[in-house]
Amino acid sequence: MAIRGLLLRWTLRDLRGRWVLVAAIALVLALGTGTYAALLGSSDWRRVSNDRSFELLLMHDVRVTLSEGLTADAGALAAVLGRIPQAGQVEAVEERLVVPTLVSVPGRDVLVPGRIVGMPVDATVDRLHVSSGRGFAQGDPAVVLERTFADYYELPDAGTLEVAGGRTVSYSGHGQVPEYFAIAGGSGGSFTTEAGFAVVFAPLATAQQLAGAPGQVNEVVLRLAPGADVGATATAVEEELAAEELAGTAVVKADEIVYRTLYEDIEGDEQFWRIIAGLLLAGAAFATFNLTTRVVEAQRREIGIGMALGLPRWRMAVRPLALGVQIAVLGVLLGVGVGVITGRLFGGLFRTLLPLPVWVQAFPYDTYLQAAALGFVLPLLGVAWPTWRAVRVEPVEAIRVGHLAAKGSRLTPLLRRVSLPGRSYHQMPLRNVVRTPRRTALTALGIGAAIATLVAVFGILDSFTSTLDDFDAETTRSAPDRVTVQFADVLPEASPQVAAVTGADEVGESATTLVLEATARSDGAVVPLVLSVRDIDGGLWQPSISGGEPADTATGIVLSEVAARDLGVAPGDRIMLEHPQRTAQGATQVTTPIVVAGTHPGPIRAVSYLDRSQADAFGAAGLVNSVEATPADGVSRDELTRALFDVPGVASVQAATALTDSFRGALDAFTGILGIAAAITLLLALLIAFNATSIATDERAREHATMFAFGLPRRVVVAMGMTENAVIGFLGTVIGVVLGFLLTRYTVEVQLHRTLPEFGMPATVSLGTVVVALAVGVGAVALTPLLTVRRLGHMDIPATLRVVE
Amino acid sequence: MSSAQPVVDASRSAQGTRIDLDGVSRRYRVGDVTVTALEQVDLHVDEAAFVVILGPSGSGKTTLLNLIGALDVASEGRVRVAGQDITAASSTGRARLRRHTVSFIFQSFNLFPGLTALENVQFGADVAGRADAREVAAETLAQVGLAGRENHFAHQLSGGEQQRVAIARALATGNPVLLADEPTGELDFRTGVAILELLQQQAAAGMTVLVVTHNREIARVADRVIELSSGHIVGDGPPAGGRAPVSELHW
Repeated sequence: MAIRGLLLRWTLRDLRGRWVLVAAIALVLALGTGTYAALLGSSDWRRVSNDRSFELLLMHDVRVTLSEGLTADAGALAAVLGRIPQAGQVEAVEERLVVPTLVSVPGRDVLVPGRIVGMPVDATVDRLHVSSGRGFAQGDPAVVLERTFADYYELPDAGTLEVAGGRTVSYSGHGQVPEYFAIAGGSGGSFTTEAGFAVVFAPLATAQQLAGAPGQVNEVVLRLAPGADVGATATAVEEELAAEELAGTAVVKADEIVYRTLYEDIEGDEQFWRIIAGLLLAGAAFATFNLTTRVVEAQRREIGIGMALGLPRWRMAVRPLALGVQIAVLGVLLGVGVGVITGRLFGGLFRTLLPLPVWVQAFPYDTYLQAAALGFVLPLLGVAWPTWRAVRVEPVEAIRVGHLAAKGSRLTPLLRRVSLPGRSYHQMPLRNVVRTPRRTALTALGIGAAIATLVAVFGILDSFTSTLDDFDAETTRSAPDRVTVQFADVLPEASPQVAAVTGADEVGESATTLVLEATARSDGAVVPLVLSVRDIDGGLWQPSISGGEPADTATGIVLSEVAARDLGVAPGDRIMLEHPQRTAQGATQVTTPIVVAGTHPGPIRAVSYLDRSQADAFGAAGLVNSVEATPADGVSRDELTRALFDVPGVASVQAATALTDSFRGALDAFTGILGIAAAITLLLALLIAFNATSIATDERAREHATMFAFGLPRRVVVAMGMTENAVIGFLGTVIGVVLGFLLTRYTVEVQLHRTLPEFGMPATVSLGTVVVALAVGVGAVALTPLLTVRRLGHMDIPATLRVVE
Repeated sequence: MSSAQPVVDASRSAQGTRIDLDGVSRRYRVGDVTVTALEQVDLHVDEAAFVVILGPSGSGKTTLLNLIGALDVASEGRVRVAGQDITAASSTGRARLRRHTVSFIFQSFNLFPGLTALENVQFGADVAGRADAREVAAETLAQVGLAGRENHFAHQLSGGEQQRVAIARALATGNPVLLADEPTGELDFRTGVAILELLQQQAAAGMTVLVVTHNREIARVADRVIELSSGHIVGDGPPAGGRAPVSELHW
């Protein structure tokens, strides 16, 4: 009984003497487990928030949009639905008119491309959620601005703004509709930002009046009864519309880019967070193993003495195991704290980035329990191994002086044969690294895991940035200051609206194009396309051709490399192209076989090109809906944009780089989320390095005292520690950069492509990221011995020299 | 063991090896208790002598050695070593003295486990700033009888060999004052005698060698024996019965 009390007192005295170290190791562990819990726990509350938000606003099950430029009389689309076989399963239907526009931001000299969404005032499908101000009112023409756009430009709850065609409209509030929880306004359904795309929700009558299409609609949304076959309904609607020569495309809820992305994003993020959290946890585990092992090894002589005095082995194991328990308990408690703080930071960022109508951030107990279990077991494992080793050594060995001195590894003799430069004490850091390979490896692996996380996080940003830079370079390789003018309708090339643009005084050179939405199919693979019918060898700008012969581009379609890969085709192969074709009454959807003439390196999968000479085969000869124009001499691009904004029939005017500009904006927001992960990894790397240095300082106290006894200045001793840390940090950084690059490749080229197939990009880790990794892994880690300067300065040299291990 | 000639750096021996302590006391505080390790000690050691500081455990002999070696600072009194007053020297100044004037041999050797025997010795020469450190180290190691063991690490050497490496490390500094704290404490008789012989040779060659020990037998081979008890010098003079040759020692 008495010995138990003694061991307990001894353990408590140990804790008092090393509580800083215990706390530091526990914090390392907590960063791993807490971040693990916070990151993986975010999936639960994001999913619940999505579910409730979509349900609150009664999101549609199917949306059918007529082909570019086609409209129908109000009621005609709803009538078509009454004729499909699944008509009995349709619970609610609403018709809409959706037209592109250009919005002049009130109070600013900024023109933003956007969309007017005309909808019923009291919609029963895709309801409007008003976040500020007030919504629609019967008989009131006032519109509602999309919430994030209004927030970005800090617009008041009510006011007026100007849309394309020089029309002024009043708005009464800010709000959201399910399809626009995230802004997918770019070509090919690509994402853009609130700064670069303005959505105006309008009562149907207001939208018809603004579009100059009274009584017309071009979209229908419907909700089906539970259990209804959504896919079959969508197909039936398309077929019924085609029969009416009203070509249209039906999209089911699961394929809506916003809906799909918000859920797939969670799954994609979850995979990514799992990797990041796993790495952080691995880093923390390596560090914990390393540190606890070294602390326990320092007790081996005392364990030996205890055993020599006849104490059973298991009793001597109590003290080191108690260290594991202390770290485990504190680590779990701190881990919950780290998790809650990180979770709140994440929650706040998601609320800002994705302001859903309903956000429910419940505490993910299961994930935290999992993390707590890991946090408890890891330090116990960390002390179990060295304790096992310690109690298995014969007491006579354990108490022998010099037994614990690192005796050098098999690698040490190698260094003996290598002639190192400098004085003997300059060589000691490298020798220390080599003589304790296990210690070196565990520390380097801990730092490596943290650096890998850092590189993976920044690598994703690098990949985005590099792809956008390449895309910008491609877009601006000729006529860089050109603008793209989009008409509200498909027009004959000789029409007065087109002439008003090409003949405007502010326009220098111009070229017309026809942009169509189409679908490519090959061997079961389906890829939606935005097909630009243009002069591939002429005009103001020509795409780069990366695959196939440039001479063949006049005889087939040019796909993006991403689309070709997803379709499984190469130049020379044939695909089936489903596209709208104009008829006397309107347009119908037809399928045309076409050869893949070449590929272009652009990152947006949908973007594809067809030479104008082939337009006749598509029933599109002489038709245009877009003009590319450069400013005339002495006219700026802004002046050109403002002048074309007022031309009747013009829906939007955008700079050629508008798409990449908007992506860059989105990237800035993304950086905020990744910044949290980066900060945690930085903290983890520094803590690992500090703990390792701190323990190394204790372990080498006698060596340092001997150096001081021989008059070696403190700065030299500290510099030796810094050099040793720099070498270990460099090893860790090399491991981290290689692992980080592999993770970036996996995340970008596999995970991200699965979540966002519309966007293809190669994985890139920039030189800047490698420099940051080196700065943290080598620079910052090397600096940690500076924190021991004070301790070294207060060292009792005579006492330390006489200490027998 | 070969006859070891010291490798004292001529430029350093010129500064002298005299040691003067005037009214030196050293007190420590342990919690609320003040422990007096040395009390009003006056001591003067002429150059080139083999001096043994003798006393039981707790008599203050190691404290005295640490004060002379500038590892510790006196609570009162004045300490001069080789003409330098180190009583109020800064930590940098004291480090400089350790680098260029005194060198240490410890009871538990304190060799660097990551360095070979040769490199451990080279460390002494390097710290002292000797230009031909590696050559000096090799020469010194040979002088202490360890030629051929240059590439062995500490754990590959016996206790006596480790202590000889430690002596070689101290000698390789070229510093004129050698301070040894129980240098034979962890060695068997035969090895201990060999070590003493080596130290005696250094004094004969012009160094001041101060050896701290509780072993009265060792005092027989000294030029001078200073006996300490409870922090006071209680005896100072040649060994009783005259200086004996090392070969006559036994314990």
